[in-house]
Formats: sequence, structure tokens, C-alpha cells
Amino acid sequence: MSPAATKPKASRRTQRSEQVIVFSVASQRFAIALDAVQEIRSADSLAGAATELVQTILKKVRHKLERKGRTYYVVNAGQHFGLPVTRPTLVLVLRKSRACALVDRIEEMLEIAVVRSLPRAFSGEERRWYRGLALIGDSVIPVVHPSGFLTPREISLLDAARAAAAASADAAATSADAAATEGAAAQ
Amino acid sequence: MSATVPEGGRSFVLMRLTTRRFALPAETVIELVVPGSLQSFPHTSPLLLGVLVRRGQVVPVVDVAQLVAGPETQHRKFYLIATRHFGAAREWCAIPVLGDCELISATPEAREEGAPSYITGAVHLGEEQVPILDLDGVFGTGVEDDSLVEARS
Repeated sequence: MSPAATKPKASRRTQRSEQVIVFSVASQRFAIALDAVQEIRSADSLAGAATELVQTILKKVRHKLERKGRTYYVVNAGQHFGLPVTRPTLVLVLRKSRACALVDRIEEMLEIAVVRSLPRAFSGEERRWYRGLALIGDSVIPVVHPSGFLTPREISLLDAARAAAAASADAAATSADAAATEGAAAQ
Repeated sequence: MSATVPEGGRSFVLMRLTTRRFALPAETVIELVVPGSLQSFPHTSPLLLGVLVRRGQVVPVVDVAQLVAGPETQHRKFYLIATRHFGAAREWCAIPVLGDCELISATPEAREEGAPSYITGAVHLGEEQVPILDLDGVFGTGVEDDSLVEARS
């Protein structure tokens, strides 16, 4: 082996420590910056607040949630990351994002000193999913990019599907009204 | 490990991936390590098995054998840590190997016509012709990925 081989320059790091929430999906742990999460709700509480989304473009999104005048799309984090199907129990409502993430559970909240860059060998979708990696004890945990749950294109597609569904519902209502008016006039 | 380099020759590390051996330029090899705990997380990059933590660094584990030697069935016991280039940057990667790595000195021969682009030549050891592997050629340079990192930071 080559003892002369030098250690490559350490990957770019953010030196500022930050607080993260460690959550799990299908036994896989992830971290997300605490300040990226606006609210954590139980998935059961969505029953009254979320509406089913009529679209077949993105399987990972089945519901939308209206919060303070904004529409959030509820992303199943397991499907997003290609993990085995689980029964999520919590929803992370994210700041500065149109996505909420359905996750299995919160493991812990802690402070991490460094978010390491994702090695460049990772060249797939994970570059969009993760801000980097955190070393917590002996474990390497991906730090999720809050805006990585939905791409701008996916949001546009979902917005378009939602608008089309609303237009279709309006048209159906108008048509029903017209039929009722015609019926009343015939009588 | 030391070796006398013949005139015009170079040093190579021979690694056994499956039944075949491949040579890596010795200057790209960092060390041979026994497996620590391989950790994985969701990703869509081909050939990546996960990561190792080595000397405080997160080192991606790349199953080169899948590409250069076909589907793998043998249990590879060690990781050979080598350097890859991404544009001007370098990064370590760990390659699972069977363990019997060897440092040799040899004069490389030219690449055979029709050989994959990641094979840059060969070294002859008796009857055996050992292909020289170019790790950067296996994966490309990853320059595009680097720009993504820069854009995000």
C-alpha cells in the first residue's frame, strides 16, 4: 500500500452546530434541522384536516393539508425514500416548504456539531434528498433537505392536478345546477 | 510493503474481486482494512453498498465487482480504500475485496482493443493477465455532482 498517499482534503463542513430531530421510517433513521420543522402532528389528527388528493402522478402524495392559507402536500417519507411500507404515525409540517412528511416516529432531538457533505460517489436522487451526513455516535445518519421531499416540478404537477380536479368539480356542480334548473322549468 | 520497480515499471496493488484479479495503480491505494460496520441509507446510486467510517471520514463503499467481474456470490472479507477523482477534487472509496491483495511492480501493457474504457491496460504475471482498473473510468468523473454540491452550499 502507499503510505505516502495523503488524506484527501476534509469534506466541506458547516462548523456551526445545530439542533436536529432524528426520526425513523421503516427502521431507517434520518435527521432534519429542528428549525426546518414547523409542527409535529399525529397522523390520526390528519383525518379531519387533510383532504384526499385525486391524482395518480405521484404515489407518495395522497393527501393535501390546508394550514394558515397554504396548501401542503403530504408526502409518505417511506415511499419517497423507497423503503418498505410502514404505518406512519406522525406528520412533520415543514417550514419554507410545500411538503409535510409522514414518518414512523421521532427518535430523539439532539445537537450535532457538523453536517458532512454527502460523498460525491452518491450521484443519484439522494443529492436532492440530503443536505449531508451526521455522525451520531458510531452511526452515519443522513440529514434530510426539507425541500427535497418534492421537487418544484412535482409541486407544479400536483398544483395542476389539484386545479384540474377543482375545475372538474366546479363543472360538475354547474352541470348539476343546470339540470336541476331545467327540471324545475319543465315541471 | 515495498517493491523494486523495474525500469519503466510501476507499482500496482492486485486485488481479487471474484475469481479474477484486477490491478490498481499503487498511488491510488490508501489501505486495506478489515470490515467495520457497513452502514446504509436510502439512495439511488448504482454500485454503492453504503458507507464506512474510517479515520473520522465517511467513506462510500463501492461494489466494483458487480460491474467489472459480474454478479458476486463470494463473501468479500476486506475493504481496499482507494482514491477517486471528481474533477479537481479527490475522495476515498472502499472496494470490497476477497483479501489477498498484493503489491507488485510491473511494466504495464497497452489496453487491448475492445476492452472497456475503465481498463487502461494490463500487467502480466506468468500466465495471468491482470487488467489495470481505472476507478475514475468506472464511474465517470462526477464533475456534475460536484457542481450540484457547490450550488447547494
